[in-house]
Amino acid sequence: MTGLGHYLRFEVLRLVRNVRYVGISVGFPVVFYVLFLNNEHPTARIAGTNWKTYFMVSMASFAAMVASLNAGGTRLAAERASGWTRQLRVTPLPAWGYVTTKIATSMVIALPVISLVELTGLLLGGVRLGPVTWAVLTVVLWVSALPFAALGVLVGFVASGETAYPLVTALMFLLSFFGGLFTPVTDLPTVLRHVAAYLPSYHDASLGWAVVAGRAPGADHAGVLLGYAVLLGLAVTWRHRVEESRAFA
Amino acid sequence: MGPRGGGARLGNADIEPALRFSGVVHRYRSVVALDHLDLEVARGETLALLGPNGAGKSTAISILLGLQRPQQGAVSVLGTDPRSAMASGRVGAMVQVGGGSGLPHGVRIGDLVAMTSRLYRRPSPVDRTLERAGLTGLADRQTQRLSGGQAQRVRFALAIVGDPELVFLDEPTVAMDVEGRRTFWAMMRGFAQEGRTVVFATHHLDEVDAVADRIVVMRRGTVVANGPASTIKAAVPTRRVRFASPGADPVRLRELDGVDAATVHGSEVVLDSLDADATVKSLIASGVAFSDIEVTGADLEQAFVALTGDLADAHTVDDAVALPVSDAHTGMDL
Repeated sequence: MTGLGHYLRFEVLRLVRNVRYVGISVGFPVVFYVLFLNNEHPTARIAGTNWKTYFMVSMASFAAMVASLNAGGTRLAAERASGWTRQLRVTPLPAWGYVTTKIATSMVIALPVISLVELTGLLLGGVRLGPVTWAVLTVVLWVSALPFAALGVLVGFVASGETAYPLVTALMFLLSFFGGLFTPVTDLPTVLRHVAAYLPSYHDASLGWAVVAGRAPGADHAGVLLGYAVLLGLAVTWRHRVEESRAFA
Repeated sequence: MGPRGGGARLGNADIEPALRFSGVVHRYRSVVALDHLDLEVARGETLALLGPNGAGKSTAISILLGLQRPQQGAVSVLGTDPRSAMASGRVGAMVQVGGGSGLPHGVRIGDLVAMTSRLYRRPSPVDRTLERAGLTGLADRQTQRLSGGQAQRVRFALAIVGDPELVFLDEPTVAMDVEGRRTFWAMMRGFAQEGRTVVFATHHLDEVDAVADRIVVMRRGTVVANGPASTIKAAVPTRRVRFASPGADPVRLRELDGVDAATVHGSEVVLDSLDADATVKSLIASGVAFSDIEVTGADLEQAFVALTGDLADAHTVDDAVALPVSDAHTGMDL
């Protein structure tokens, strides 16, 4: 394993051992799923599937988003505040290694987080999907978590140690509520439906909703997410450069 | 792993000095941070880099660590450019981390040092590094449960775990108490004696005197003094005249020939003089009663003040914040 591989493993273990982080990233979505599981009639159809399946996808997207925002945002800001990022800069770890490791950490964490919500759907929600659909759903939700991994890192660079947590919390709330993760977009007022169309959270979950309804994931949703990933990636690169030039000036 | 560095290997690169600045100029807008800086550090040398805030130390440090490129002039570290030297793992560093611990939260110290060691090609064993940094009993301690001094020692461990040939330490003892500092410098000396090059910056001038082979004093982006502590002190005309004189009047003492400053503590009088002979003669002529007179050379702090013309900056605001007042005081008087 290279130095970067060891650093990634170290970061992932650090997160997994953090009870509060795991509680927020996995606990919240699972608890929300169980709480709102019976909000709709079992036979009610929504976007070509039933509520338990639909809402499982919502919560899996939510979980991946929460896990990424917290892994990147809050912790990266804290590490900048503590001076750890400065100390790392004077090791052989390349300057880009820190950022890529942070994004990779979010992605590594997102996979089990999504799977755990799916498992809850299977065991407690009685969600029944074919093995291929399960696999495709997992991969689709996982890949589309990338913009959130980048967003988390960006927040970590922009926010200070004190402002990161409220900023992450606000983003979590806005993206999940207005993205239709708690109330289906079709139930939202028209104005908010237009807002949803601009949010990555809506497009992320939409890909999953399409998969469980047996439809092909829409290229429009994928396109928006890709656009977000590229934009946020560029923003992260830019902030990282700024940070580097400032850190020791 | 045995000692490496200076004497241990004799490749071509070892003929090169550990560190060389040649005519380095660096500006921030209109402010000149480095003004044709020339500086060389030999392999195996322990060098103290001193200077008031704004003297260009921070810029020189960030250039030698490869964090900034010099705008003009050349810099070589271990015979190569600073970035390659850092990337190859032959340089270790302890940088200033502002008010924080410099460590990530929620990690065992042993795990943190182990992870860092894996970023290097030929690291020292983790156990040995922990032992060297005085952290053996703390390997299982979480990073957020450390005192300021312990966190500094962990950062020292991170700086040396790669078995570096050149170690750079910027204010390494800033959060330590007196005893902690003494232990720290003992550890550092042990490390330097293995043939490694150590460059450090500090505001605790008493430490410099005891630890450094050579001192470089910077002012306004250039070197104003360069040599062993004894040479630097001797170059300054200030002498210290000390005697006992119950009820002495400081105002009157200040009027004696050659006196620059006078302090009276009870019956003890200390005069800083630019001409000790004249001062003693005029003291006798003044008729002031005195006993136990002693004339000594300048200490490093006086030399520093004379060279840089800057008393206020000899001790930074950082020190005052990071240390209890009593520590900050005794730290300088030891």
